[in-house]
Amino acid sequence: MKKPFIISILVLFSLFLFLNLQILPEEQFIENNASVFYRNNGLEKTNSLNLVTAILYDFRAFDSLGESTVIFAAVSGIVLVLSRKTLAVSSHGLSFIVKRTFAILTPFIFLFSIYVITHGHLSPGGGFQGGVILASISIIFIIIYGSAFDYKMVSPNTKTVLETGGALTFLIIGFLGLMIEGVFLSNISILNKGVGSLFSAGSIPIVNIGIGLKVGAGLAIIFYSMIQKTLERSWMNNDK
Amino acid sequence: MINNLVFVILVFVSSYAIYVKRNLIKIVIGLSIFEAGVFYWVISTNDKGGKLPFYQVTRKGLDMVDAIPQALTLTGIVIGASTTALLLTFIIELDKFTGTHNLDNLKGLDD
Repeated sequence: MKKPFIISILVLFSLFLFLNLQILPEEQFIENNASVFYRNNGLEKTNSLNLVTAILYDFRAFDSLGESTVIFAAVSGIVLVLSRKTLAVSSHGLSFIVKRTFAILTPFIFLFSIYVITHGHLSPGGGFQGGVILASISIIFIIIYGSAFDYKMVSPNTKTVLETGGALTFLIIGFLGLMIEGVFLSNISILNKGVGSLFSAGSIPIVNIGIGLKVGAGLAIIFYSMIQKTLERSWMNNDK
Repeated sequence: MINNLVFVILVFVSSYAIYVKRNLIKIVIGLSIFEAGVFYWVISTNDKGGKLPFYQVTRKGLDMVDAIPQALTLTGIVIGASTTALLLTFIIELDKFTGTHNLDNLKGLDD
């Protein structure tokens, strides 16, 4: 039997890993390393109150660009594999009570997602988190009202336009930084005035909006493609 | 100490799921647990008990926690979510073509 062999190897590996982690040096302080530099200069250089957002969209914005490319590649792969048909197959949705309840709740969820996206440089949140909340609206449409309703409200073409638009916003901001400041994805200093207001931290809010639209539309496309395929299959099984 | 132990336990559980289980959905669950373990370890080893990484207008924020692991973990969570979705998509397609998502029952495509 292979199983005890694999388990014993895994136990040995885990023990080895644990012992190695235990003898890691506790604290290695390097003078003026990256985290100390970001902590001391984050506010002056970016005017963003949220240091995580400042790191993500200013100091390490190129990293975030690669990350959004990964999402784009994943969404492209999923759509390529799953949706050969553009036909919208509807589920019937849930009961009347649930539909009415979410008719009241959904605008507030939308408002909250807009708040999280646009206040990414002032409070916890940002494009990725708010985009996931934005995608949950599309998921609510599909589960509670049926996928035909989602097709009618936010058609797949709209989602595609939003996703590519978000990615393009990021790239355009990057090239604007290249043209104005001389560095790709640099924070544009004309916009960078004041601390603590909504339009304060230079290009960070704009990039946040782009990333939020991109992540929201991308996750909505993923869920729509998956649920469409599954619904198709369950309908076929019911016919048999 | 305790975070290393939790990390190693999560790695063990997820490696068990990846190497022993033959159901593809369970393998994807194992990969997700592995990701969660790595994120937990990255966050917890760098937690030296500082404040939230937010500047306030009056405070320069010298006592805040290191923000780089949080930014990296945010990146990793999004990438993990999209790769998980891609893997599940391939499993859906595989199940549609072969009728199974178990590696033991998988015998290639029908002609």
